[in-house]
Amino acid sequence: MPTSELLSRDAYLLSIELRLFWLIAFIYCLSLVLFIFHLITRQNTAGRAGTTLLWIAAFLHIGLILFRTFEAGRAPFQTLFETLSWFACSVTLTWLYVSGKWKDVHLPGLVISGLALGASLYALFARSPAIDPLSPALDSWWFEWHVVLAFFSYAVFVVSAAIEMTYLLVKPMIRQGLTPYGFTDDMLEGFHKSAFRLVIFGYPLLTFAIFSGAAWANDAWGRFWSWDPKETWSLITWTVFTIYLHSMTIPRFKNLPASVINIIGFICMMMTFLGVNWLAKLLGIPSLHIYAV
Amino acid sequence: MRFKKIPEKIKSPAKQLLRWTYRKLASVTTSIYILSLMAVFYMIGTIFPQGASFSDYEKAGGKAIWFVASFDLLIFFSSPLFLCAALLLLTNLGICCYERYPSLFAKRVFPDKFEPTRSLKLTRHNDQSQTEVSKVLKDEMGFRLVSKDNTWIVMEKGLSRRRLTWLYHAGIILCFVGFIITWLFAFEGSITLKPGKAVEIAPKTTGNLSSLWQKKEPPTEWALILDGFQTEYVETAKLDYPKDKFSRLAIGLGWQLPRYEIKSDNLAPKDWKSSLRVARGVKTIAQKTIEINDPLKHDGYTFYQEGFEQRLKVRVGNNPIPLEVKADEELIVPGLDEPVKFGTVRTGRVTRLDGSVDKIKPYVMARSAGKSALKHEVKPERLDLHGSIELDGAFLTLVGFEESSVISYRYDPGVLVLWFSGIFVLITMTLRFYTGYYFLAYNIALSNGSVFLDVHVRASGLGADTDKLYKRMAHLLER
Repeated sequence: MPTSELLSRDAYLLSIELRLFWLIAFIYCLSLVLFIFHLITRQNTAGRAGTTLLWIAAFLHIGLILFRTFEAGRAPFQTLFETLSWFACSVTLTWLYVSGKWKDVHLPGLVISGLALGASLYALFARSPAIDPLSPALDSWWFEWHVVLAFFSYAVFVVSAAIEMTYLLVKPMIRQGLTPYGFTDDMLEGFHKSAFRLVIFGYPLLTFAIFSGAAWANDAWGRFWSWDPKETWSLITWTVFTIYLHSMTIPRFKNLPASVINIIGFICMMMTFLGVNWLAKLLGIPSLHIYAV
Repeated sequence: MRFKKIPEKIKSPAKQLLRWTYRKLASVTTSIYILSLMAVFYMIGTIFPQGASFSDYEKAGGKAIWFVASFDLLIFFSSPLFLCAALLLLTNLGICCYERYPSLFAKRVFPDKFEPTRSLKLTRHNDQSQTEVSKVLKDEMGFRLVSKDNTWIVMEKGLSRRRLTWLYHAGIILCFVGFIITWLFAFEGSITLKPGKAVEIAPKTTGNLSSLWQKKEPPTEWALILDGFQTEYVETAKLDYPKDKFSRLAIGLGWQLPRYEIKSDNLAPKDWKSSLRVARGVKTIAQKTIEINDPLKHDGYTFYQEGFEQRLKVRVGNNPIPLEVKADEELIVPGLDEPVKFGTVRTGRVTRLDGSVDKIKPYVMARSAGKSALKHEVKPERLDLHGSIELDGAFLTLVGFEESSVISYRYDPGVLVLWFSGIFVLITMTLRFYTGYYFLAYNIALSNGSVFLDVHVRASGLGADTDKLYKRMAHLLER
């Protein structure tokens, strides 16, 4: 195929991809509005509708990611545009999977749809969707493993934090004898325990992501650890979740302190993913992970 | 955790303090505090630019110089304060593991009675039930007997949580050993290799331990030779994508279309490869073509493809002696008011947009680097090998270029320990968190003429499912 035709085809495919992504962002937005309505009115109908919209958005998002993979001819998480899309999709899918056990609980969807919408809009408004070839340092078999597992752990930690926030909001209401947002007294503790189980699931994944990152850095840059801001923040996230897991073994830390630590862990994870880029720019700190900025 | 009563003779204040410290360091609560301190220290290290000089820090608008200097905040991760905190964490980890080691093999003591979590009505007679339940739990459900000393019989299934937890904590200690070996013995450097020339590795530094008796490592007894160097590129098209948000939204709504365009210098680097040979005298002892992500390992050293250097030979007008300039540097051309900047010579192979692979006819992009040219954003011009361009009235000809490969090397005996311990930690941690473990105690009791099986089950690990366990147990016992 002549180059001009190739470029026209690529531009056409990109325009389809972008339209689909905007549509998905719009569905996330509708879903968020419904979850806000659910939060204010405590009506489960709004929550259920929000969850249904999340399902639709998730299916479309899987399609979008497969489309991007076909378009780029490689795993679609090289640029920040791609990882933001991947993040939004994986977070939504993880919550929808977990929510299968708590069919009448929709409130965590508020955090999930908010984050998915935020990530999608950030990608669409602030990042370029250009499909660039892999830089030499990224051209490694560690690449897929490292990124997939890191983002899988991120998705799990986000859902865990969303459950934790819901628990902290609902618990005082339950104590007052209310049954808000589809919760009953007997299911609250089980629901809260799922936040812990999610961290238990995500923690080895994050450990593997850090380990594979170190092994990859050793092959590419000749050093397994450089105290690069991104590396250091991933270590901070790991340390905070280590503190959380230890807190869960000590009765006096087990309840509110552990919940707060879990939410701090989520904030650190967001710093590792996005905040560190901003921090590196703000403070002028050079980062080896500059391709992700 | 229980500690023995302090005998009278060691009740001196110093010994009491030591014992108190030891007791504190054996506690998980202390681990939480130390880990919190480490997290704060890591954060500090990301706020201050590590490795920067004080003058650079000051120039960049850095404040509180005395504070930054007092706590070594620009080299925080190798400062005494940070190293002490890391040592404290290691001590805590070591003592916790040491204290918990005996409990891994100690005989477990169980209460005489457990709180039943489920009761099942049995159809057998009381005397048959005992044998039947034991057979079902052991042979069909895979439980193993732990204790039958009391009224309640204790069994378990799955890998011991306590041992797995202990093992991955011990693995983390081993990781620390790897870090310490790296810190004591590792050193690194960089060399520039020209094709065909043998170079001995003469490090300018040494490990932290050997720096006590030597300033630098002795040169190697073997030499490194670059047999060939190759660059590979990939052809790219630039996306003409609007910067303002409304135009981006317009693309999303289908009112505008994105567009790809080909720029004059549209090659992106794909790979750099160096064919390296290690030779002692005339004898080749190792050889490999290295590239990024695929280094050469020899005699404890690892050689990495870091980059490359190019020296361009440029003739000005008819001058028979060409001028030499490094790629990406400026050249003062006699007769021209403003310097000329040359980019990287594109040479080697290129993968085209249509997938075909071509050999590149070498060329470089050149432009005037003066203030006025920069102000007017003068576009660079393409200068082919043996071709000429006119720049500000001067004729420039690229008559040739030389390439050298930049290789970084590192000697780090800690890496092997780290890989081993890291894999060990990952395996034991995965087993601990993902596999299921059941602790089961049961008692068969007769009540109102019926035989009941009271069971107390505790489960841990993501693979454990107590509901499934109860269902299976009921199904097998009812059969």
